[in-house]
Amino acid sequence: MMKQRSTSKTVIQVCLALFFIAVVIAPIITMFTRINSESIRSLTSSPNFVPAIFNSVTTALTATVISMVLAILASFSLCRTSMRGKGIFSMLFVLPMLVPSISHAYGLKALIGVNGSGMLAFMLGSNVSIYGFRGIVAGSVMYSFPVAFLMIQSILQYEDGMPYKAAAVLGIPPLRRFTGITLPYMKKTLISMFFAVFTMIMTDYGVPAALKNENFGDTLSTIMFSDATQLKLGNAGVIGIMLLVPAVVAFAVDMLVPELSQSGFVSEGVEAGKGKLPKIAAYIFCSILAIAILMPITAFIIQVFAKSYPRDMSFSLTHVQNTLKSGADRFLLNSLIYSVIAAVFGTLLAFICAYMTTRAKSRITKALHLMSITSVAIPGLVLGLSYIIFFKNTPIYGTIFIIGLANSIHFFASPYLMMYNTLGKVNPDLEAVGKTLGIKRIRIITDVIVPKVRFTMYEMVVYFFVNSMMTISAVSLLAPPAPQPLSLMISSAESQIDIGKAATVSLMILVINFIIKLIITFINRKKSKE
Amino acid sequence: MDSLKDKLIIEGVSKQYKEKEVLKSVSFTVKDGEFLSILGPSGCGKTTLLRILIGLLPADTGTVVKDGVDITKAAPDKRGMGIVFQNYALFENMTAQQNVEYALKMKKSTKADAKEKAARMLETVGLSDRAKSLPKNLSGGQQQRVAIARTLALQPDIILLDEPMSALDVATRLAMRSELKKLQASFGTTMIYVTHDQEEAFALSDRIMIMDKGEISQLDTPENICRNPANDYVRTFVLDNLRAKIDSLSKYAPGLK
Repeated sequence: MMKQRSTSKTVIQVCLALFFIAVVIAPIITMFTRINSESIRSLTSSPNFVPAIFNSVTTALTATVISMVLAILASFSLCRTSMRGKGIFSMLFVLPMLVPSISHAYGLKALIGVNGSGMLAFMLGSNVSIYGFRGIVAGSVMYSFPVAFLMIQSILQYEDGMPYKAAAVLGIPPLRRFTGITLPYMKKTLISMFFAVFTMIMTDYGVPAALKNENFGDTLSTIMFSDATQLKLGNAGVIGIMLLVPAVVAFAVDMLVPELSQSGFVSEGVEAGKGKLPKIAAYIFCSILAIAILMPITAFIIQVFAKSYPRDMSFSLTHVQNTLKSGADRFLLNSLIYSVIAAVFGTLLAFICAYMTTRAKSRITKALHLMSITSVAIPGLVLGLSYIIFFKNTPIYGTIFIIGLANSIHFFASPYLMMYNTLGKVNPDLEAVGKTLGIKRIRIITDVIVPKVRFTMYEMVVYFFVNSMMTISAVSLLAPPAPQPLSLMISSAESQIDIGKAATVSLMILVINFIIKLIITFINRKKSKE
Repeated sequence: MDSLKDKLIIEGVSKQYKEKEVLKSVSFTVKDGEFLSILGPSGCGKTTLLRILIGLLPADTGTVVKDGVDITKAAPDKRGMGIVFQNYALFENMTAQQNVEYALKMKKSTKADAKEKAARMLETVGLSDRAKSLPKNLSGGQQQRVAIARTLALQPDIILLDEPMSALDVATRLAMRSELKKLQASFGTTMIYVTHDQEEAFALSDRIMIMDKGEISQLDTPENICRNPANDYVRTFVLDNLRAKIDSLSKYAPGLK
């Protein structure tokens, strides 16, 4: 009897491992096999290749540093001063996460404009260009800042306040407290954050696609995208590998840098400073920052409802009508289907995997855990390319399922880790109690464990849904032939009419994701009451 | 005690984790209706032994025989034994009543039966008025009583308790001790009680089994252990510690002696 149970556990785990091999490892390996000396030669001999490497690294590096500095200042303002409006600011700061990266680029275009035709330029009469290095860095900062901000804020919030009290009693000056307590505490997060943000920017193609120009040239991601769409799969594969490098380094660093041993028991948080000057400075800084990062979004919202932005700002629904005429309703439906598939299938899969790796250990548990978090190291474009090559001749190619699958895998690691952490904290003896009382494991899972972890599950559902709504990386290579999602209407925008559409679509995505976020915030408020 | 029949016979049970021998061919007998404590420091193998007895862990070698039947390979729920875990492992989303009912419902009892029986069990442990409370709204002692009621409801004839008092404050511990004895008397259940607390073992047990590094150092009545400690380990770990406690108490409260 007992033997049988542990066999079925192993069978499930082997199946999960095989599934990951089929949808993650095998496609990536197949992508490698498409590379030959010819593709390497043709890629490296192309004149825009070396500048593209330079462009990718310099823009990503600059944007990463700016994002991190802003994120550190913002989270210290919110967590360590007694400024007003903390709730509002933390909400505003993450708002940019709800639209695709490319929307920020179009927002910037709307704001500054093509050769100074945008709103800001129109008002100031200046002649700044948003194309090239500056624009790409600015756009990248807009969408990567919230990620960096959330990472720091979450650890600052849960830092133990006792060491600071002890240091204060011992008469250690504030600067030494910062270098001696705060920095070591944040070290691991700062390192992981640097690599995570750098990888995210370097592998993004939305912003550079919208803001590159002839002077600036290409980035690795834009070359990869155009090679892949021209079916130069070998060439795209080479860049795919290059884009995997920072992600793999990030992954390795994350595994190797030891977690600072923390008691896990925080008797009280760190007290916010009482100083008046820091409070005012923090408030001013956060206000300017919020306005700056939300300006592009604001600009495209205005653009949606302006008759002929920026010259004729009278209210009009022409853009909305145009957008609907060009099939936005159908694409919206596709997007909703993709998001629901990823939310349901992804959450279920992540739950089962996390359950297995935390509460049903076997010999392959460790391998399964590693496979579950591998997807975080695979950029969307790379995943998309590997899927084109691997699934080309299978029945799911060109259907809704391949994108549902791609999204579930692409966004798998974070929700998996959320559940992994939550389940690890649930009483380890529940299944044992079930065994001794004659209650089947599956009943313990459905009747006791799922109700216990349901809030984490909601978070997972939202994560899959929101990201699937706005992704343009893997999907841009898979649709067409698969039915097109709404987000891709943005990246195909070229003319002025199209930009109106792109703005409208960005707003639609923003509204849907915002509603979903509001619902989860409301539900989670109930949790904190519990 | 000798007049009682053998309830559980453990013969040559061993368990090894990788290189480490956690249990080294352990053999002993538990009498029907007795209160037996397994006493030892953490890492001595007592919890492993308990998990083998209930069937949550397979033994590498050896047999477990209950009432003359070999149950070494029986499923945990087919052994007629219950276990109360150190952290109680209550179902947090269910009320006290539902915690006790849940397993009964699985066992094909009718809903009404299960309900009535669960209510009776809660009454036995003195929790009738808290039947509708969720575990998080109960005190540590009350949670433990729910865990005991949940175990008793399936009418096991042996109950295993894995350091059940370690999360309770001193006053509650003392109260729970006498409650446990009362419950045992009224149900006539055999109890096997794992603890690292010498005082607790001596206060509760008919017999105490002292374990050290996966082996039994001594198995005897509290009185005989005091009189004839089997070896140096029993003398230092058990008796010296107890004596130190008594000495320190009598130093500050001479009237106690």
